[in-house]
Amino acid sequence: MEYVILSLVLLAIGIYGLMTKRNLLKILISIEIIAAAASMNFVVFSSILGDQLGQVFLTLALSVDTAITAVVIALVLIAYREYGIIDVWELSKLKKSER
Amino acid sequence: MLTYEDLFAVALVISAFLALHLDETIYAIISFAAALTLLSGLYFLMNAPFAAIFQLIIAVGAVAVFFLASEMLTPKKGLPQKMRGKILGLLIASVLAVLPLVVDLNVEASPKSHSLFFASALWEYRALDVIAQGIVVLTLALGIVMVLKRRRGK
Repeated sequence: MEYVILSLVLLAIGIYGLMTKRNLLKILISIEIIAAAASMNFVVFSSILGDQLGQVFLTLALSVDTAITAVVIALVLIAYREYGIIDVWELSKLKKSER
Repeated sequence: MLTYEDLFAVALVISAFLALHLDETIYAIISFAAALTLLSGLYFLMNAPFAAIFQLIIAVGAVAVFFLASEMLTPKKGLPQKMRGKILGLLIASVLAVLPLVVDLNVEASPKSHSLFFASALWEYRALDVIAQGIVVLTLALGIVMVLKRRRGK
């Protein structure tokens, strides 16, 4: 149960980053922290129950999470090459100006 | 009495917060790498060695990619973050890190222990998931290649 509190603290830090940061890389790091906080619960409950199924779920979750991170970084790179900015507000302004 | 779990948890919270708070992207990524490594250590202390090793491998890969991306995306000239902002971030992180110290971070195995091993859990219970996930990851890799290739073609 105590590790769930630690997980909640990490979740709060990730949400803080999502709400306050405008840099796309920082937002990606926030998402990674939230994913780490969520996947930590798999290991905690698997350790409590004494089986290793939770570790299997962590393995599966982390693989997909990393692949998604790679996709997002590719998109960020393209956005930067196309417009020269990695600020989400500036990107949303571009969207408005294109309309 | 402080245990290793407490120390790892406190360092994890502080480094995770600093990864978001520090303005210099390189320092933020170093802090993020420290957070992932500490998380891996915490898994090891929870008697989850497979999760710990996997987390460590992912940490190394993710941090390498983040380093490359930040090197490409960060403008060379920027205003340095003020010392006051850094100290404020460290203070907030320390306040957040008090919580893991207050609670007792020890995992006790339940008496209803299943003692299911990693290999059997992976290949007997979740074999279909593993195969499906391989396809998903392959699709994502192909997607990245297509997106970057189309961009290069333009």
